[in-house]
Amino acid sequence: MVDSGREDGPTVEGEGTIAVRAERLTKFYRRYQRQRSFGSLKSALLSGEGFRGASPEGSVKALTEVSFTVAAGETVGVVGANGSGKSTLLKLLAGIVRPTSGRVEVAGRLAALLELGAGFHPEISGRDNIEISGLLLGMSKREIAARFGEIVRFAGIEDFLDAPVKTYSSGMAVRLGFSIAAHSDPDVLLVDEVLAVGDESFAHRCLEKFSEFERAGKTLVFVSHDLSLVSARCRRAIWLDRGRLAADGPSADTVALYRERVASEESEARLAVAPSRDAATRIGSGQAVVERVVLRDAQGRETRRLRAGEPASVELTARAREPLTDFVFGVGISTIAGSPVLGVNTEADGLRPEEFSGQARVVLEIPALELAGGLYSLDAAVHARDGAPYDYRRDLLRFEVTSERPSLGVWSPARRWRGEGQVRWKK
Amino acid sequence: MFAPIKRTVRQRALVSALTRRELSARYRGGLLGFFWSLVNPLLLLAVYAVVFRFVFAPRAEVRPYALFLFAGVLVWGFVSSALLDAAETFRHNGPLLRKTTVAPEVFPAVAVAARLAHLLLALPVLAGATLYAWGRGSVAPGPAILELPLVLLLLVVAVFGLALAVSALAVHFGDVRDLVANLLTLAFFLTPVLYPVEAVPERFRPWLRANPFAAFLTAIHDTVFFFRSVSVADWLVMGGTAAICLAAGGAVFERLRESIAEEA
Repeated sequence: MVDSGREDGPTVEGEGTIAVRAERLTKFYRRYQRQRSFGSLKSALLSGEGFRGASPEGSVKALTEVSFTVAAGETVGVVGANGSGKSTLLKLLAGIVRPTSGRVEVAGRLAALLELGAGFHPEISGRDNIEISGLLLGMSKREIAARFGEIVRFAGIEDFLDAPVKTYSSGMAVRLGFSIAAHSDPDVLLVDEVLAVGDESFAHRCLEKFSEFERAGKTLVFVSHDLSLVSARCRRAIWLDRGRLAADGPSADTVALYRERVASEESEARLAVAPSRDAATRIGSGQAVVERVVLRDAQGRETRRLRAGEPASVELTARAREPLTDFVFGVGISTIAGSPVLGVNTEADGLRPEEFSGQARVVLEIPALELAGGLYSLDAAVHARDGAPYDYRRDLLRFEVTSERPSLGVWSPARRWRGEGQVRWKK
Repeated sequence: MFAPIKRTVRQRALVSALTRRELSARYRGGLLGFFWSLVNPLLLLAVYAVVFRFVFAPRAEVRPYALFLFAGVLVWGFVSSALLDAAETFRHNGPLLRKTTVAPEVFPAVAVAARLAHLLLALPVLAGATLYAWGRGSVAPGPAILELPLVLLLLVVAVFGLALAVSALAVHFGDVRDLVANLLTLAFFLTPVLYPVEAVPERFRPWLRANPFAAFLTAIHDTVFFFRSVSVADWLVMGGTAAICLAAGGAVFERLRESIAEEA
C-alpha cells in the first residue's frame, strides 16, 4: 500500500472482498466552531477547560450510527438532501475527520476527490501543481512521472503546462484536477459532487473514466444530486436522511424511496398552509365544539397523506359544554378548489342521538378511500338535527391522496376493465 | 509522541514539493526572482557595516561587528520567522486540510523548511563577507567552521519541534500567534544575538544560560565568527534542547491532531 498521508487510518488486511466498512459511524460537530477557534489560550488555561473535546450539548449531529460495507469493485451512489451528512460521510471514509464514535476501515489505497483542484496554487505552473496534487493524492514521484503525459492529455492542457494555474480557465483547472485524481490509480475513490462543474463533454469523459474504473475492479463511492445519474451508474445506492442511513439497496429502489420522501415533504409543506380561522370558516352557537380532527391511515397512524383505495378514518374530538340530547356529527370533504366531494353525518347514516356530554371521540371509518389522487379539504361539524350549528368548521385540515393510477375527477373506485370480441391488450 | 515526526519523514517528497512551491510562488513575478533572497541580506549587511563603523563603536572583541551581528541576525531570523509562519500555516492551508487527505504535520515542516532555505541562500553572502574580512586580516577562519552544519541541524530539529506545537495550538487558540510574536521579540534581546555572552555581567550569565537558545547562538558565533570549537556544555544543551523540543512538540501535536482539519 502506498501511503496516502493519513497512514494510521485503519486498513483491512486479508479481507479481499470488502473495500470499505463503516461501523456505527457517528459524528458531532461543535456548534460554535468559529467562536471556539477564536477563543484564547489564556482563557482556556484560566478556566481549566484545556483541550477537552466538545460536549454533546454544544454540538451538531452530522451523522448518526451509519453502518454499511462496500465490496471491492462496487460503485455506490450516495444521495440525500443538503445537510444530510453526505460530505461528512466521505470525509470520515477518507480519514480527513475522525468519527466521534464508530469505525471506518478501508482496504487499499484511497483517493478522495472532494473538490476538484483542491491544492492547486494559482501562482505556480500546471506542471508543478500536477506534482503537488499527485503527492497529495498519495502518488509517489515516480508514479507521477510515469503518468504525467496521460494526465496532461486527458486534461487537454498541453499548451499551458508551464503557465501559472491562475491563467487557466476554470474549465481547464477542473479538467486538470479530475485528471490527476483519475490517474492516481486508487483502489477506492471517493468523489463528492464534482461532476456538477465543467461542461457536458467533460462530464462525459469523467463518466467514461468511472466506467474504466469499474471494469478495473476499483471501488467507487460518489455523492451526487443527479438522481438519474445515480440510478444509471450505480447498482447500489445509499440514502442519507438527516445524518441517518435511510435506505441502502439497489439504486433504483433507493432513488425511488428518496424521491417519494422529497415529494411528500413538498406536499406537506403545501398542506401546512394553515386554513384560515376567520369567522366565515367557523360558525355555531358553541354549545358543543369540535376540538380536533385527525386522519388515520390503514395502520391507524396519524397522517395527512392517504393512499387511494386503502382504509382510512376520520377521528373527531368534540366536547359538549352542556349535556345534549339533540346532536349530529358530520364530516365533509371537498376539493381544494371547493367542489363538494362528500357530505355525511350520523343522522343521515341512521344514528339516533341519545346523550352527549363532556368529551367524546367520534370516528368515521372508511373501508376503502375511493378518491382520486390530489389535495382535499376537510370540514367537520357538530350541529342540531334541524341543522342549527353548534360548531361548524370549514377547511379544518387539508390532506393529500396519492394514487398509483392517475385518473380525472374525484371518484376513483376499485375497478377493472374487460374486453370482448376483437380487442386485446398485452399481458 | 514520535508519530508526527515519522509521518513527516514519510511525506518528505510532499514537504519538499510544497517547500519549492512556497519559494517559487514567493519569488515568481518579481523582476529579480531568487536574487531577492540575496539582496535582502546584502542590504542588511551593508547597513550594519556602515552604522557600526561610523556611528557606533562596538566592543573590541566583536570586531568586525557587522559580521558578528549579521551571523546572529540571519540565524535568529530563521528561528523567529519559521515559528511565526508555523502559527499561521493551518489558517493558510485550511482548504487543503479540509478537502484532501494530506497529513497535517507536513505544513509546519514546510514552514520550517522554507525558512531554512532562505537561511541557506543567505549563507553565501555571509561567506563572501567573511572572506573579505579575512583578506583585510580582521578575522582568521579556522576548521571550527566545519561544526556549523551540526549546529544548524540541531537548531532545525529544535525549531521543528516548537513549530509542531505552535501550529497545532494556533488552530485552537486565536492568540497563539500574538503570544509567539511577543515572546520572540523578548527572546531576541535575551538571546546573545546582538552581543557575545562575555559582554553580559558575570552575575547575569546563569540567567542567560537558562535560555536554551543562548547555546545555539553562542555556537553560531563560535563557528562562523570566532572560529573556535563549540564547548561541550553548549553541545549538550543544544542536543538536549533539540530532543526535548521535538518530543514535546510531537506530543502536543499528536494530542491536537484529530481536530486540526475540523478547526483550521
